[in-house]
Amino acid sequence: MSVEAAPAFRPRRSGLTRFVSAYGQEIVIACAILILFAVVSLINPRFLGANNLNTIISGNAYIAVAAIGMSMIIITGNIDVSVGALIGVLATISGTLAVAGYPVWVAWGAPILAGAAINAVVGALVAYGKIPSIVVTLGMLSILRGGLVSITGGAWISNLPPDFLLAQQRLLGVPAPVWFMVICTVIAFLWMRYSAFGRSLYAIGGNSEAARAAGIPIERRIVEVFAIHGAIAGVATILFATQLQIIQSTVPPNLELTIITASVIGGVSILGGTGTVIGSTLAAILFSAIGAGLIFVNVSAYWLRAVIGLLILITVLIDMLRRNRETRQASR
Amino acid sequence: MLKKTLVALSVLSLSTGMVQAQGTWTGGDDLPTTPLACDGTAATPAAKEYDGGVPTNPPDRAGQEITVVDVPKLIGIGYFDATSKGIAEAAAEMGNMNATTDGPTEANIDDQITLIDNYITSGVDGILFAANDPVAIAPVLKKALEAGINVVGYDANSEPDARQWFVNQAEFNGIAKAMIDSLAAEVGEDASFAIVTSTFTTPNQARWIAEMEAYATECYPNLQWLETVEAQEDNILSFNQANTLINKYGDDLKGILGMTSVATPAAADAVTQAGQCGNIAVIGLATPNAMKPYVDADCVKSVVLWNPVDLGYAAAYVMRATADGELQPGDTEVEAGKLGTLSVINGSEILLGAPFIFTKENINDFDF
Repeated sequence: MSVEAAPAFRPRRSGLTRFVSAYGQEIVIACAILILFAVVSLINPRFLGANNLNTIISGNAYIAVAAIGMSMIIITGNIDVSVGALIGVLATISGTLAVAGYPVWVAWGAPILAGAAINAVVGALVAYGKIPSIVVTLGMLSILRGGLVSITGGAWISNLPPDFLLAQQRLLGVPAPVWFMVICTVIAFLWMRYSAFGRSLYAIGGNSEAARAAGIPIERRIVEVFAIHGAIAGVATILFATQLQIIQSTVPPNLELTIITASVIGGVSILGGTGTVIGSTLAAILFSAIGAGLIFVNVSAYWLRAVIGLLILITVLIDMLRRNRETRQASR
Repeated sequence: MLKKTLVALSVLSLSTGMVQAQGTWTGGDDLPTTPLACDGTAATPAAKEYDGGVPTNPPDRAGQEITVVDVPKLIGIGYFDATSKGIAEAAAEMGNMNATTDGPTEANIDDQITLIDNYITSGVDGILFAANDPVAIAPVLKKALEAGINVVGYDANSEPDARQWFVNQAEFNGIAKAMIDSLAAEVGEDASFAIVTSTFTTPNQARWIAEMEAYATECYPNLQWLETVEAQEDNILSFNQANTLINKYGDDLKGILGMTSVATPAAADAVTQAGQCGNIAVIGLATPNAMKPYVDADCVKSVVLWNPVDLGYAAAYVMRATADGELQPGDTEVEAGKLGTLSVINGSEILLGAPFIFTKENINDFDF
């Protein structure tokens, strides 16, 4: 059995059918975004203004970037509930370095390296310690959150040097966070689709025994993918920390859940083995489009949570149904 | 005939619905409001009987060294660092109070209840708290009272009978007046504005907004409220929501009111990055440190708050007076160290004083 066999769980069909079946969730979300834009802009044409498009697409960019790493983790059959706290810690590290007068590339590079290092430890505990990832990362969540509060003493970081504020930059009129989101998503998608490393992630999550039999060094892969996820969280941190002129010592409540939700609604199976980062990025954009859309059509923001909750249930339900069908087909 | 009646009824219900839709401020609560006089004449406090709780058989703590734990909504934000600093300052001044601060790392009521429960078990003389939820916190505070512990709240109240006293940082109508007065002074008495708040159900924010509506209706009837948006306690979401308001209303938007210390700086940043400083005023509740960049850049002119260091300081003095038996139900005032005499309002609350407005001239005198 080769590594390539893993994503090809689905029966082989031709052309369009295969494309739709492979990228069903991504297509559904892309359509949802288009329909949303069409409906809201009919009610209020200002919704399509350039500034508003920038707000919507860049508003959740750091969530989309963080969801790339999260998707990799979930695809291997693991989970990370500490990423929100990690982003908070990395933002404080980055901001502290910037204020202390280090060159901005140090302040930007530090969260990427620190994120990789911290999560490599998490990965090692999961892979070699054989502790379920939810347990390790729950512990990590408390450590990081508590550590952040005791080290910063709750002080916010202000007086950030202007050239540190990367997320406020624009290139060709497009905000930097959008560039980061698009480039990271495309690279990660291609890498996971075509490289042996990327494909092995699907194999591990799809059937770890088969992956081991195929010669994939599962333990090492888990450590590596956690480290990569940490580095990507570092990139997300740069966008998070440089959007405003101050850095809070607290992170948005339930940030990790928002990131996991983007992955799951984007089509990454919570059971591992399937999904792409295109889906999670589209889902992050969908969230901010729903949020802005509700304001534009004068509907209470309460609906945002209800709508996202409904999306989660539907997505997971469809995932379960598909898996049942595949199991039945396989046993036939 | 029946048909006509039905049509008339449905038209009537539709139109009242629309009137309500126009007259309703999303984000305010439905409790009765008591707007202050437009010219600032102080209201005479209505006499009200003590409605706080009473601890069961507390030991005689008069003049004794007491151990007090302070459980704010959460730790790790500038605001509760400042209250904690005030408590420590007062404790050091008095010399016979051991005060520590311990709170949840997120504003989570379940964590807060667990924490208080642990301190009841481990045995303390006094509990200072700022409630994440006024109703949900009541049972555990009553348990503390039953264990003979002195319980005093500050910043965010519980149900009155679940604690002895509550130190009120500013009455809701006082803050509401300061916010609306600052807004009208900056953008004119007939401008349009929007609000960024945490959630529609957060008790303090909902109360302020309701009082702001009442005060504005009375004193600035031509101010136009556009809408209130929720942004949790999330800085990036607050930034996005403020941007969305700017995109939606364009030139019609003259002011944004931030109702939390997270939303106000984020809204100021949105206005700054949109290049709208001077066109859109940002006024709000926030800590001075977070607002300094925007105030120094002349993008924000008024930051409304009280002094949280004084709030913690007063709470510690009220705790001491309560433990000593010097502050009894029915009293009308209490001595609070350097703050002088504070008055008792609403039966069992102690008012800290009028709100404080930070401006470019004074903001750099503060560090919290």
